[in-house]
Amino acid sequence: MTSLTVVGRPDLPGGRPAAAPALELRDISKTYPGTNALTGVSFVLRRHQMLGLVGENGAGKSTLLSIINGTVRPDTGTIAINGEAVRFGHPTEAARHGVATVFQEQGLIPTIPVFENIFLGRETKFTVAGGLRRNAMIAEARAVLEELEVDVSPTALTGALSFGQRQLVEIAKAFALSRVYPVEPIILLDEPTSALSDHETAKLFDGINRWRSRASFVLVSHRLSDVFAICDEVVALKDGHVVDQRPIKSIDEVALHELIVGRQRNAEYYREAVQREPSATVALRATGISKPGHLRGVSFDLREGEILGVAGVLGSGKSTLARIIAGAEAQGDGDVVVEGATLRRGSRRDAIRHGIGFVPAERSVAGIIGTDTVDWNLTLPNLKQIALGFLGLISPRRSRALTVEWMQRLKVRAPGPSAACRTLSGGNQQKIVFAKWLARGVRILVLDDPGRGLDVGAKEDIYSLMREIADKGAAVLLVSDNLPELIGLSNRIMVLRDGVVSAIVETPKDAKPREVDVVSAML
Amino acid sequence: MAEVPATVAKKQGDFNLRTIVLPIIAIVVLVAYFSYVNPLFFSASNALNIGRQSSVLLMVALAGTVVILIGSIDLSVGALVTLTGILAALTVDQFGLAGATLVGIGVGALVGLVNGSLVTMLKVPSFLVTLGMLSILSGVANQISQGQSILFADSLLPDLVNGSFVLGIPNVIWFALIATAVLTVVAFRTKLGRYLYALGGGEIVASHAGVPVTFYKILAFVLAGAICGLAGVMLTGQVGAGTPTAGSSLLLNSIAAVVMGGTALSGGIGGPHRTFLGVLVIAILTNGMDVTEVNSFTQDIVKGFVIILAVSLTIDRSKYLFIK
Repeated sequence: MTSLTVVGRPDLPGGRPAAAPALELRDISKTYPGTNALTGVSFVLRRHQMLGLVGENGAGKSTLLSIINGTVRPDTGTIAINGEAVRFGHPTEAARHGVATVFQEQGLIPTIPVFENIFLGRETKFTVAGGLRRNAMIAEARAVLEELEVDVSPTALTGALSFGQRQLVEIAKAFALSRVYPVEPIILLDEPTSALSDHETAKLFDGINRWRSRASFVLVSHRLSDVFAICDEVVALKDGHVVDQRPIKSIDEVALHELIVGRQRNAEYYREAVQREPSATVALRATGISKPGHLRGVSFDLREGEILGVAGVLGSGKSTLARIIAGAEAQGDGDVVVEGATLRRGSRRDAIRHGIGFVPAERSVAGIIGTDTVDWNLTLPNLKQIALGFLGLISPRRSRALTVEWMQRLKVRAPGPSAACRTLSGGNQQKIVFAKWLARGVRILVLDDPGRGLDVGAKEDIYSLMREIADKGAAVLLVSDNLPELIGLSNRIMVLRDGVVSAIVETPKDAKPREVDVVSAML
Repeated sequence: MAEVPATVAKKQGDFNLRTIVLPIIAIVVLVAYFSYVNPLFFSASNALNIGRQSSVLLMVALAGTVVILIGSIDLSVGALVTLTGILAALTVDQFGLAGATLVGIGVGALVGLVNGSLVTMLKVPSFLVTLGMLSILSGVANQISQGQSILFADSLLPDLVNGSFVLGIPNVIWFALIATAVLTVVAFRTKLGRYLYALGGGEIVASHAGVPVTFYKILAFVLAGAICGLAGVMLTGQVGAGTPTAGSSLLLNSIAAVVMGGTALSGGIGGPHRTFLGVLVIAILTNGMDVTEVNSFTQDIVKGFVIILAVSLTIDRSKYLFIK
């Protein structure tokens, strides 16, 4: 543990060799069971700069932020703040060094006033004989808010503020650190604009630009436009590695995107050779699917034997579309038609009756019941198959037999059908989610990011499984954040932008488009 | 299918070991201790005593298990037993044994229907709905009985409950055992049972699999209510009167039994067979302390410690993000 050193205001007009950078990461690695979240990550955040951290989902951005702010400990590597090596065992220790995080899902408590949020966990300074000097806290909070020109009363109830205002309060909270500890803040912004309107985003950036001379920032954002709008430098992460760190002026949006996706598409990996031509028969027809705030007039035909990819950035409505087609969410307008029957809106039961299987994105919450056994998970929508005999009771033997059959077909590695599902790896769990529907003989599969959080080997298994399913004539709607996956697997890609179909990109097996061709329709 | 990392297999083993074996060890230890202190404890007649004392508790704990399995809780079980017991005492002379039983089960199911509907339709947490219902039912029971025991002339009901048809074991014990067996079969071999576990373990997963979530949640409360209704009738038969205080100790003891048996309050884990073990622990502990003449205030203190200890040993913490 290092002792606290007081960091004076750095008076370093350009020219002189810069003092130690605000934050420096050297060779940070972190492994979670089954995955290398980060491998040898190093980068430098210079004082009073804004560093953009970009990468796909699962590239390791969140883990990296958690390591910097002390919630996760790295396996190896060092962190230096103002040139001084630090080792955080707890977020409070990171806070003492000025590190504050503005979370994507906000970290403010809605039921208490703004000033209490601003000094939450740092009340020591205002404590006298166990009591809080409320007025001093309010005055100090007001000073911070005014200094930052945030137009919010410190005594306002936090929950009553707009989302954008709360975002500003979060940043004020980070600045308030410097009033409690003698440090200059290092502010980590995790997708700060994902829920903001354009107007609010502009206001936030205005604020940040004014505060730049008093803090250093790391910005994680999916929106490359954000990164180009306010960052000085950008670090591209891919699969837990730093691909490059460079000044933002030396790169354009397309080049940055190539850095992010970076990899060579591997035709073998996606079994492109066995991509089949879809049959002419339409398995599912969607007409004018709309949902206020999410989707507007999305129509498409999904044909038998086809894998139809759906691409789009976060907030494009692609996940909502998957849920609507699967009946897990009701659309405001438009119809889903299967074999001439219009499906009941938002009825998963009706969708299942018409042969639609659904592999949701949130595997642990929506795909798998971790406390139940493998066979109970797999047979949940298949109880009719195993409920024979006296009084229609479920036969545990048939339940296990059916499960073992599918475990073998999908090469699931598990101690057996009676293992608790939560003890399985992510890839094996995902296979169980697939098996649940395959055992039911569904003709249509809706997949929402089926490769999320899986390692390379597990992905490969899932991809060849999808090929097999399509080859047998089932129709697959594949929603994914992963472009190489979409291009490699799909027959066509439907691109969504702000809830509207912005392009249809054909992806025949011998003439796959480049990622940039798809990206241009997404942004 | 054998290529499993050893750690996974081991975890699985631990999981079963803790929740099934620990209550059994507790039972063995308790029986050994009480038999040592007072040899009279270890006798067939005392075993029947334990059975008689805990039959109604077992029924109530089973009802609680059904609701706890889906991740909800029913705090109105004790009060419902009181109310249905009083109603049975009031109606048995006029409508006979079958009539009184139907009234008990019917009122129980109806209360469960109200509980379940409020939880699912109005989305009020079950803790609050059933806490309110507890108060309402106690109030109604006191209003009806005016705080007095309700006596009745019918002798068929007490005879049926306290008599013994098979192996010299009182029928009330048989009823509770049969209820345990039936519910265990329901839990593991019927659609209803599997859906209850699925709702408790992952409601979203269940709804994505086409389970009519609202219907089965309400059904869980209705089933619990009906079982409590039956327990109320049994209790009245056992006591020979409907009493306004009969069910007061049942609520906390039943929850303690359910959790000690290894059914998680978060839902999806455990089951009626586990609850049977939990009830046995509580019943043996209570009876043993009676037999060894521990005073009743000390009994409460000991019971409290045992509950905390047992739950801290059996609870599966890996499921919880926070312990609240």
